[in-house]
Amino acid sequence: MSRTVLFVLFVISLTGCASNYGLYQWGGYENDLYAAYKDTTQVEKLRVNLEAHTMLMEKNGQRVAPGLYAELGTLYLQSGAPAKAIIMYKKERDVWPESKGLMTALIQNLERIQKTKQEVKI
Amino acid sequence: MKILFWIFLFSLLTGCVSQPVKKDMSAFIASAPRSILVVPIVNKSLDVEAPNYVLATLPMPLAEKGYYVFPVNTTKFVLEQEGYYEGDRIHNEPPAALAKLFDADAILYVTIHRWDAQYAVFSTTVTVELEYRMVYKDGTDIWNEKQKIAYTPQNNSSGSALGSLISAVISAAVTRTAPDYMTLTQQANREVFLLSPNAPPDGPYKTAKIN
Repeated sequence: MSRTVLFVLFVISLTGCASNYGLYQWGGYENDLYAAYKDTTQVEKLRVNLEAHTMLMEKNGQRVAPGLYAELGTLYLQSGAPAKAIIMYKKERDVWPESKGLMTALIQNLERIQKTKQEVKI
Repeated sequence: MKILFWIFLFSLLTGCVSQPVKKDMSAFIASAPRSILVVPIVNKSLDVEAPNYVLATLPMPLAEKGYYVFPVNTTKFVLEQEGYYEGDRIHNEPPAALAKLFDADAILYVTIHRWDAQYAVFSTTVTVELEYRMVYKDGTDIWNEKQKIAYTPQNNSSGSALGSLISAVISAAVTRTAPDYMTLTQQANREVFLLSPNAPPDGPYKTAKIN
């Protein structure tokens, strides 16, 4: 039995069960999200990485994976930046038609709150 | 050398074999969901960290399967705004009401049944047992699966008895401080959604890419 055949079989055994991931890039979302749940000081890292990842995807003309824009939007909202949240929710809605109902509800809700605040100021 | 070859051949044959029993997918195919809402997890284990691992690792395999997956952290946030904090309470709500709130086609409910490490003398076995249930927006159950994965770190030392004893102790100590639950959970979800014969059919974004 030649070594080459053994090597080929070995390579096949390594790749045989590989899952066909490959529709999207996630930029470490799984690990960052878990880390943020475990330790709230890591939320910042999740936000920064999502910012960098979505910007990179846009730059390369690649579709941002489902939910990532919205997750970033929610992190903006929780850190007190609703205007930035609205921008991200709109991006999610435009890229993923399935998200339209939820995103529209979130956007309208935030816009209503902002409007009320402005009226109070006047 | 010949023996090595047969070992390889055998491992190739058994590597990916799962139970051949295929479940009925007609309800799933008939409802043809495009979007899946993953709601917070019900945790029946004693590990408070477990739901975080599971929730964080569900979107990727489902989205790569071709479905729009609602952002899990945003979903959690919205539900909390509505007064729903506990997985148990959310799982007991009528699915139709939840689906309507998010405009989702289907809801995925995941329950953690086991999440623990058994410490033996020479090794540690980590066991994760999860139950998955998918419900269409009209309340029909369209898919379910149970997955149990047990992991024992291997000691490949072939030296003296003392050598393997020491390496076993080290291996158990490492696992004791940090069992790799992340990889284990990813493995469980991947098995259920991508590799199992009972995995859900591919979603619209996957089939669109192939055609």
